[in-house]
Amino acid sequence: MTTILLVEDDKNQRLLYEQELSLEGYEVVTASNGREALEKVQVQLPDIVIMDINMPKMDGIEAIGKILSKNKEIPVIINTAYSNYKDNYMSWAADAYIVKSSDLSELKDTIKKVLANRAEDS
Amino acid sequence: MNNYHSTSNFNTTISRLRDLLNEYRGRPLDENLSEKIENAFLDLEAGIAGQGAEITKPSENTEQQKERRKFERRNKDKIVDAIGIGLCLLNKDLKVTWANQTLCDWLNLKDSPVGNTCHDIYHCDEIGTAVCPAVNVFNGNVSNIIETWIESKNRKKMCVHHVAMPILDADRYINEALILTIDATESEKTVHRLLLLQRLGQAMQGILHLDKLLHLILTCVTSGYAFGFNRALLFLINKELNVLNGKLAVGPSSHEEAHQIWKDISNKYGSLKDILDKLDYSHNIDTPLNTMTKLMVYSLSDTKEVVILCAKEKKPIIIKEAHNDPRVTEEFRKALRVDEFVCVPLIAKNKPIGVIVADNAYTGEPISEDYVNILTMFANQAALAIENAGTYKRLEDKINQLTETQQRLIRSEKMAAIGSMLSYIAHEIRNPLVTIGGFAKTLSRFTFTDSKITTNIDIIIEEVKRLEKILNNITDFAKPSTLEKVDMQICEVMENTCILMENYFQEKNIKLHKEFETDVPSISIDPAQIKQVFLNILINAVEAMPDGGDLNISIKSGIESIEIDITDSGKSIPQDLLQNIFDPFFTTKPNGTGVGLSVSLKIIENHGGNIAVESKHGKGTRMSLILPIK
Repeated sequence: MTTILLVEDDKNQRLLYEQELSLEGYEVVTASNGREALEKVQVQLPDIVIMDINMPKMDGIEAIGKILSKNKEIPVIINTAYSNYKDNYMSWAADAYIVKSSDLSELKDTIKKVLANRAEDS
Repeated sequence: MNNYHSTSNFNTTISRLRDLLNEYRGRPLDENLSEKIENAFLDLEAGIAGQGAEITKPSENTEQQKERRKFERRNKDKIVDAIGIGLCLLNKDLKVTWANQTLCDWLNLKDSPVGNTCHDIYHCDEIGTAVCPAVNVFNGNVSNIIETWIESKNRKKMCVHHVAMPILDADRYINEALILTIDATESEKTVHRLLLLQRLGQAMQGILHLDKLLHLILTCVTSGYAFGFNRALLFLINKELNVLNGKLAVGPSSHEEAHQIWKDISNKYGSLKDILDKLDYSHNIDTPLNTMTKLMVYSLSDTKEVVILCAKEKKPIIIKEAHNDPRVTEEFRKALRVDEFVCVPLIAKNKPIGVIVADNAYTGEPISEDYVNILTMFANQAALAIENAGTYKRLEDKINQLTETQQRLIRSEKMAAIGSMLSYIAHEIRNPLVTIGGFAKTLSRFTFTDSKITTNIDIIIEEVKRLEKILNNITDFAKPSTLEKVDMQICEVMENTCILMENYFQEKNIKLHKEFETDVPSISIDPAQIKQVFLNILINAVEAMPDGGDLNISIKSGIESIEIDITDSGKSIPQDLLQNIFDPFFTTKPNGTGVGLSVSLKIIENHGGNIAVESKHGKGTRMSLILPIK
């Protein structure tokens, strides 16, 4: 089963994504900040990471940097309420950039696309 | 014995006259005139000597003597008139005993002045006072000189100087005073004009408002007080358009208008202060002459135009017969509608900046060279003042620009503040909205027996969508702009980057070799981002040469693209790492972020280009950047 590491600090939102993505048939592992995400990656390497940016302790950008410098093959999707991180060069390392919406279909489609691209490449 | 005395008296008089003339030299008085007087007096001397000889002849009868005396007197009168000065004898009661014709003409006397008191003919207020030359002379003092303005028989305004000299009788007693009246109009006018010129110059230099200044200049040219031309037109050179452009004209537009306002204008400005105080530059704006002048534009390369010629040669041009003069085009002649006019160049710092054209369209008075000379001097001062005003205006424009920029900056800072606040609120709201809407969507997938629940869930979903749409609009507003492309020379960007790194190169002992093609075309780029790319690559190159080395930068253009090669002579990149260097967060440096090259590649890709890398052991690394021309 495909494992998704979902990094999100908002408890209710985390619950929403967990429910919705589980319904799509993924195994969802959650982390509430960047530091926790790094720990989870060390325990179990996920197939894809969905990363919020604005988070306490360690923000998403830093976490992406740290994850990718060790495991550069993991695809990352940025899922944030902010559109302006698109201009941050650091965010370009991610495979996709999604502005959060109550309509989760964009997120779901992107996960499928990114995973498919990776499968093609390897 | 008696005769001897009278002759000697005349001689004394003459020598005194001569002394006086000597005294006059060096003062504002026409040299020619002095010489004329001198010659005339020589004649007079000869005549008197002759008379003396005649008188001593006792054999002649009285009738003959009378005839001869009459004849002699007429001759002497002629001589006296030829001198060109007014002469008058006053007795002790200050009554006129004799006056020559010149004086009578000058003072506009209809009847013989003999027997009148001097006051009646000279209309002078100094009579009997210590400043009266005649009184001084009768008191045995040296005569002073007084100056008055008179209007002569032929209505000419004249400035005259009066001076008195004593006439001694046989007993060396002062019996009469000879009043000499000398025409000093010309010299006085010259002095007056020079003074005026100086004062106008001072006044002009103090005016920094260009329109006001141009008006003052032309008002001076046309006011009776200063130059008294009928009309004056001012043209200025526009360097950007390479033309001479009519700017302003002062003067009546037609004969009718001239007749109507001529008196007003000539009487309006009595002094320089009047000109400055009463200068009204609104009433002239809409005159047909001014409108016509503003429409007059001549290309600076068109040397057939007299005004262009004047500006190019930097010399005044007097046109006497416009219809016969090859320097005047028909168009210009038709515009001015006069046969005689003068063009004077405005020269500042030895460069022509414009031309003043002046004429006497309504009085038809000929333009004298003297006037043109003074006008030329005036024009030089005017040109300097115009130049000053121009500089001031440019300065003023710059300050205005600066203020505007500052205001724009404040505005944009305000916008940025609003933007960041909006962005903060938008994101804070977006997060709970995602949760509300997301869960509502989850709920909508369940089936409810009560259809009301389904409807209500749909309402929540729709309303959340609406709110999200509003937030999108707000965040788009807050979003900073991304690529800002302008047409630019890539060599220039590289040059700027190198200048930025000059010190760094020196410190690290790097020798820079630049090889830029001269005709590399400008391309559409975001200079700030491209500069960032150059910086990243140059820093990498320098860091690859810790002990110094050679850094070669070459820029050449092909048909479709520009190639920028940056080659260092440092340690090469191991072949197995070459494929990774553009990966984000990949770095071999202990303190590196691993962002530089990946960002650089992203930027170049955004510009439609590519980066290739080549590294060989012992030969250093070459980065080749390709940017499309298109």
